[in-house]
Amino acid sequence: MNIRNGILTVSTLVSTIFFPWPLTAMLALAASFFEPLVPLSAGIFADVLYYVPQDGSMPVFTLFGLAFSLIAVFVRARLREGIIWR
Amino acid sequence: MKKTFLARRNALLSSSSVSWGAVALAFAVLALLLRLLAPNLFLHIFAPAFRAAEAVSARSHSFLNGFRDVAALAAQNERLMRENDALASENRALMERTAEADGLLGGIVAGVVARPPASPYDTLVVAGGARSGIATGMEAFGAGNVPLGVVSSVSADFSRITLFSAPGAVTHGWVGSAHTPLTIFGEGAGAMRATLPRSAPVAVGDVVFVPGPGLLPVGRVARINSDPAEPGVVLRIASSANLFSIAWIELRDIGAALRDSFSLSTTTP
Repeated sequence: MNIRNGILTVSTLVSTIFFPWPLTAMLALAASFFEPLVPLSAGIFADVLYYVPQDGSMPVFTLFGLAFSLIAVFVRARLREGIIWR
Repeated sequence: MKKTFLARRNALLSSSSVSWGAVALAFAVLALLLRLLAPNLFLHIFAPAFRAAEAVSARSHSFLNGFRDVAALAAQNERLMRENDALASENRALMERTAEADGLLGGIVAGVVARPPASPYDTLVVAGGARSGIATGMEAFGAGNVPLGVVSSVSADFSRITLFSAPGAVTHGWVGSAHTPLTIFGEGAGAMRATLPRSAPVAVGDVVFVPGPGLLPVGRVARINSDPAEPGVVLRIASSANLFSIAWIELRDIGAALRDSFSLSTTTP
């Protein structure tokens, strides 16, 4: 397990509690280059901490995290097949 | 002979071992299960982290303000305006107390554990729950009797308050000295909006009220957006209370009639 990836992952989750969400989103995006599941994890964690279900509201952080994780997985898969990864 | 390259591997696992992302996802799912199955224990576990975050935020804020005199003055000005609003509201509430003395205003005081901007949905987590007598549907008030929101979920020792500025929150109120009725929509980050006809007597700085025991100021008109293509104007409303620095709130049962004017559902833990 890569130390750099670990620091990015832990920083993103800690940022969910300690810092405003835009900083958390930026960290999650940065981490997604190395760990595609981090945006989804951060989104779920943010919604677990703060989301209150009510009429007309959606757990948007989980949904955006899922979207960015899927994009990251897709990009990484393409890079692995391509010449850049070799 | 042409070499075929079949390097398609699992993109989730960057090495042969388990990735940090998978560990983070397992942690998040574990936290989700804990919140669903034991919401009170969940908040007991995370409350110290929320309090540490608040301490860090306060220290960093005072440190950064040391470099910015203009910003400090602007913040002081804003604080004084809010205090002025709070005092006016408190004065009004006190007069009503003496007139009515009906026991409505004996609320439950609770400390705020998590607030915006760390809490991105404009919700507050407060250290008071069913054991303190808090129930879903109670209204939350800040300093100076400024209405903030409605209790949307309660566990044994903690509650979550959905603020009037939360996205999706709808509140009915009035604006200005003419008390023009309007519907207030939450926009997030402490902001609200409402739409009125162009002919409505409203100006920047007018106070926006919501029903409580009397008229209670929820915010001020910060900006009026007027698009010639639209029949009405859009009021941008800033909350009377600084939601980013609320330390305590008071919770009161306002009764079913008033609760109906707040379109906030109150369902889950």
